[in-house]
Amino acid sequence: MSSLTDRYLAATLRAVPTPRREEIATELRGSIEDMIEGRTGAGQDAATAEREVLNELGNPDRLAARYADRRLQLIGPTYYLHWRRLLRLLLSFVPALVGTLVGLARAAAGDGPTTAITSGFTTAFDVAIQIAFWVTLVFAIVERVDPSLKLPAWTVDQLPEVPAKRDMTLTDIAASVALLLFTAAFLPWQHFWSWVKDTDGERIPLLDPVLWRSWLPVLIAVLLAGVVFELVRYRVGRWTWPLVAVKAALDLAFSVPVVWLLVDDRLLNPALVERFAWLQDEGNRQSITVIAIITAVVVLVWDLIDSGVKARRAG
Amino acid sequence: MVSDDILRTHLQELRRGTVVVASLVALRQPGYGYALLQRLTDHGFPVDANTLYPLLRRLEEQGLLTSEWNTEERRPRKFYRTSEDGETVLRLLLTDLAAVQKSLTGLIEGVDR
Repeated sequence: MSSLTDRYLAATLRAVPTPRREEIATELRGSIEDMIEGRTGAGQDAATAEREVLNELGNPDRLAARYADRRLQLIGPTYYLHWRRLLRLLLSFVPALVGTLVGLARAAAGDGPTTAITSGFTTAFDVAIQIAFWVTLVFAIVERVDPSLKLPAWTVDQLPEVPAKRDMTLTDIAASVALLLFTAAFLPWQHFWSWVKDTDGERIPLLDPVLWRSWLPVLIAVLLAGVVFELVRYRVGRWTWPLVAVKAALDLAFSVPVVWLLVDDRLLNPALVERFAWLQDEGNRQSITVIAIITAVVVLVWDLIDSGVKARRAG
Repeated sequence: MVSDDILRTHLQELRRGTVVVASLVALRQPGYGYALLQRLTDHGFPVDANTLYPLLRRLEEQGLLTSEWNTEERRPRKFYRTSEDGETVLRLLLTDLAAVQKSLTGLIEGVDR
């Protein structure tokens, strides 16, 4: 069996660049033997002395790193803050964005709402992991390859504004989220637990069940995206112009399909229309459509004015 | 009372640079790793072996030390010696160390520069 010293040398030299290995080996072996002799000379037995000397020299990988002047950190202080900033920036919106898009695409392709939402969340999670891995890998390589890479130095121009007094309270956000979730829950609710019953006592869904294979999952996804948006908005703490734009886009993403389906006579369940004479009248259905359009426009305009004024005040 | 950990950290910070100075001074007379370790410890510069051995190689690579293998003894030993460049750097370091000591004394005695 090889001695502890042999094993220690092998473990250290494994991690030292080849051209200097022989020389370091000879010198380090000599130093270790000197140290052991120093101890045995003071009356210690050889085996204990060897153990203590090697313990004192410590982890071979650490010693090798010192010989090779190698870094013992994945990402050092030079790049850490840049790494953290980039990672936060990407993670703040890319996974949510891709997840939503994939969910919408699956819904539009005719998958059920559960499949669409699940695949949206799984994709978002995968994307987040991928981002974290690749960003970290690139920075770890940069740390090792070129430690003198010139990154822009920090200047006072980068100071963030002191956050303005919050324009939005937690109550405000909670109310919005509750409304969104309530609306999202209404869609399956009207399907399974509708209060309208036909002559046989069977429940009649209010909306056309065919839409579950096309637009309803999309509407649910838009509403859930609205929830995510509210959380982001709370995080930001005040209205900014991009937030105003996203809010308007979300409003449109919900109201345009609804209005369009109403105009096309595809939103309401035909069975429901059959059940109520009032709904069979073309004029009455047009009135509903007009009311829906007016509501959508009012909501959109109100949201734009409300958020726009606040964004202008904050900016 | 300040904790031992805090005290140890500050002492380490204070001592860090002095190992190089002490080594360059000591190696005006040629010496090998373990002997240098002993000498530095005896003169009040306790230094870890796993710090000193790699440090000697680094100083050699920087041209501040020269080295020579001595194979006459029982085992081959690498003897280091402060080079001309090393001497130049050492003088500058010593000057700076003296300046630090002087500034500190001035500060302690409250004398304006």
